[in-house]
Amino acid sequence: MAYKFKRQVFGFMDLLRFKKMVPLREKKLSEGSAAPIPKTYRVNQTAEILHPGTQSAELVSVESVTADMKTYTFKLSKNMMFRAGQYVTVGHAVGGSFVSRPYAISSSPYAALHEGKLSVTVKKAGFFSGWLYENAKPGDIFVIGDPSGFFFYDGVRDRKNIVGIAGGSGITPFVCMARAIAEGSEDFDLTLIYGARTQADLAFKDELDRLSGDKFRVVYVLSDEKKPGFESGFVSADIIKKYAPASYSVMMCGPQAMYDFADKQLASLGLGGKYVRKEANCIGDRDVKPQKYALTVHIRDEVFNITANSRETLLVAMERAGLRVPSKCRAGGCGYCHSRLISGKYTIAGGDKRRLADVKFGYIHPCCTYPDSDMEIEVPSGE
Amino acid sequence: MDRYDAVVIGAGNGGLVAAIRLLQGGAKVLLVEKHNLPGGFATSFRRGRFEFEASLHELNDFGPAGNGGDVRDLFDSLGVTDKVEWVPIPDAYRVIVRSEGLDALMPFGKQAFIDKLESYVPGSRLSAERFFELGEQIRAAQAYTNSRNGIVDSSVMVKEHGNYVRTGSYSVNEVLESLKMPQKARDIINAYWCYLGAHCDELSFTHYVSMVIRYITRGAMAPKMRSHEISLAMCERIRELGGDIWFNTEAEKIVTGADGGVEGVILKGGRLIKTRHVVANCSPHVVYGRMMDGVPERIVRATNARKFAGRGFCMFLGLNKSADELGIENHNYFLYDTSNSAKQYELMKSIDTNSAQATVCLNRAHPDCSPKGTSLMYFTTLYMSDCWGDVKPEDYARTKEKVANMMIDRFERDTGSKIRDSIEEISVATPMTYAHYCGHPEGGIYGYESQYWDGLNPRLQMMAEDHQTRGLRFAGGYSMRLSGYSSAYFSGDITGRQTVGDIKKEG
Repeated sequence: MAYKFKRQVFGFMDLLRFKKMVPLREKKLSEGSAAPIPKTYRVNQTAEILHPGTQSAELVSVESVTADMKTYTFKLSKNMMFRAGQYVTVGHAVGGSFVSRPYAISSSPYAALHEGKLSVTVKKAGFFSGWLYENAKPGDIFVIGDPSGFFFYDGVRDRKNIVGIAGGSGITPFVCMARAIAEGSEDFDLTLIYGARTQADLAFKDELDRLSGDKFRVVYVLSDEKKPGFESGFVSADIIKKYAPASYSVMMCGPQAMYDFADKQLASLGLGGKYVRKEANCIGDRDVKPQKYALTVHIRDEVFNITANSRETLLVAMERAGLRVPSKCRAGGCGYCHSRLISGKYTIAGGDKRRLADVKFGYIHPCCTYPDSDMEIEVPSGE
Repeated sequence: MDRYDAVVIGAGNGGLVAAIRLLQGGAKVLLVEKHNLPGGFATSFRRGRFEFEASLHELNDFGPAGNGGDVRDLFDSLGVTDKVEWVPIPDAYRVIVRSEGLDALMPFGKQAFIDKLESYVPGSRLSAERFFELGEQIRAAQAYTNSRNGIVDSSVMVKEHGNYVRTGSYSVNEVLESLKMPQKARDIINAYWCYLGAHCDELSFTHYVSMVIRYITRGAMAPKMRSHEISLAMCERIRELGGDIWFNTEAEKIVTGADGGVEGVILKGGRLIKTRHVVANCSPHVVYGRMMDGVPERIVRATNARKFAGRGFCMFLGLNKSADELGIENHNYFLYDTSNSAKQYELMKSIDTNSAQATVCLNRAHPDCSPKGTSLMYFTTLYMSDCWGDVKPEDYARTKEKVANMMIDRFERDTGSKIRDSIEEISVATPMTYAHYCGHPEGGIYGYESQYWDGLNPRLQMMAEDHQTRGLRFAGGYSMRLSGYSSAYFSGDITGRQTVGDIKKEG
């Protein structure tokens, strides 16, 4: 016996109500405002400041920080807000290629938000950093990427006290953090242990000393020099114990050799897992016999036949060929260069950071992938 | 070769399905997506040793092989079912309203569900049976409506789908009241309301019941490799069928001709793609507000009349202990302040009063989704106003942290499990995040709200009328099937097939 639904006293009233639904919606739609449909919304405008995307920026000053490090300050075309410790890509045409690299931001978040000023501090070390060091001058126009990366304090996850361990040019995100704590855009306690070879290699020492106070302290550790007022040797468990508060999380930024050493020191202090975070380093060349491979690259409806070198990543091969392709972290993790493998053999540098389904359906991150044969890939446009 | 039969704008769930349907209908198709990944919300991301699901809680109406639902049938006919590995969701849901002493764990399976409800609320059985009976009849009526593209024969409707017509204009609460369902049983059965984002005084009963009975009778499934697996499977299918997909490619303008209809799409950077058919997998607000010139007043009014539904917030946690160690018992939870959905809806209008949540521990469906000895959770809520519009960039990180803490506190208090000290990775998505990745106004994730006058029934009946611009049809959460994974997939199915028809008519 089928159930017959009825709500009104007279069942036909339920039917009438149903019949009125379309006329009611027609009426409601016709009564909407005739004012222009908004082009944007408050949340979307804020999102534009948090994620301004790729933008052009004028280099306004270049300052030497040490013998081989310079600070490059840009005037942004779009102000942005970021988390202290994040990086941006800085890009420019070099020869016939567009080249970009990720660099930690050294200036403070509020400088970028309120004044549209953004600085990176770069050590002359590789191809693009060397080019910058020799060529970049005020007035030059660069391409600056979205603030990116996850090397920043999280109040839910981390202990309120952070011990920062910096090596060499790995100081830059911590300079940003110290400035952010001072201006109030970040709120945590930072004890910075900064290792360098000699006092002359310390960047930002005067400013770091000046910023020292309740929420920020700095300790210098020199490996090649013994000086009063400085710790000497490497950043050891003893030094960490001497300066660290009772309970803390660790953030590290520096070369791989420093990570390898510090990991052991921290393990002896019972620290690892969620309490230790490291910023990733760019993938470099690999040490194999040089060999040339044919690389076929599809970008939208264009096809490019270029050459790849077994020692270099697919991303480098594409940049050398002058292709404008996506590139951000250059460490395999951010997924910005996510590309489809059509054919060929390859090796991934370091740990495979791809999504599970990317492995299943044959997607790769060219920034951390070396060719082991001729290859064919489809890459999104980097324009 | 800058000419296509159809351009699909946006590779979200609706756009992906529409592209496959167009290709199956013989069209030459270009799918453009401004992001570098497909899926829209249907994606995943890595942090440390965890891969998080970006949005999917459970896929409704898919069901296991042998008890397949409409989504499985759709995926079968798209040719993507076997490209994805599926895991079943163990229980329907656990709803907790601590302040009212309500804590119910509801199973899948119609009989099991009714029995469990009766055990919690003696005397609820008859009303629950009628709820399911109405649900089945409404499903049949919806299938008929879909088969006629919304243009139905009213005598057939009244004769063969009487209960659909008789319940069709009422809210969830109105019908449950008429069914004389005891209040506590209504509180339990209404728990899914947040999946549709309108409270039960507004939400159409027929819409709600058709969702609930699909969940309960078919069970829910999830893709093993997160929803990214579905999205990449669809991309593979599109390529197998000869379609082109261009990522990092934003469509900026839809070009119209003298008749006001579609003539092409201009991509960011200025390239013109000629086409007479566009499927827009984005909101009419964006299309008519920004992408088209000379929009007729009729369309401007109709667009402005719509109400934005919930703006999204999701916190993702990678925990360094297993679900067993942490005492997380279930796969998905609904945690509310009150079982009165209209009151709860009001609380969800403000950042300071909203910690209502739909929370998932994925390991309870798929134990190996994270490394041994760890677990993976996500906590979702909706904001029923533009309150995040008040948050200034300098307060953004603090606000995120505040809400994250509210959500964690709420979960610990309501369920008794302790997770705070085990957080190894955390990521928080806010309305700004959704605005950034998907471009939705105000960071909405639920399209236009299912208000009493703009619910599923009138939208389906008005599909033909809502098609206002020659060559332009919509797919996704803002369109005729409303929001949610299965709805978005079906919108792509409907729109894709309709566009194939449009193309054929032109000859």
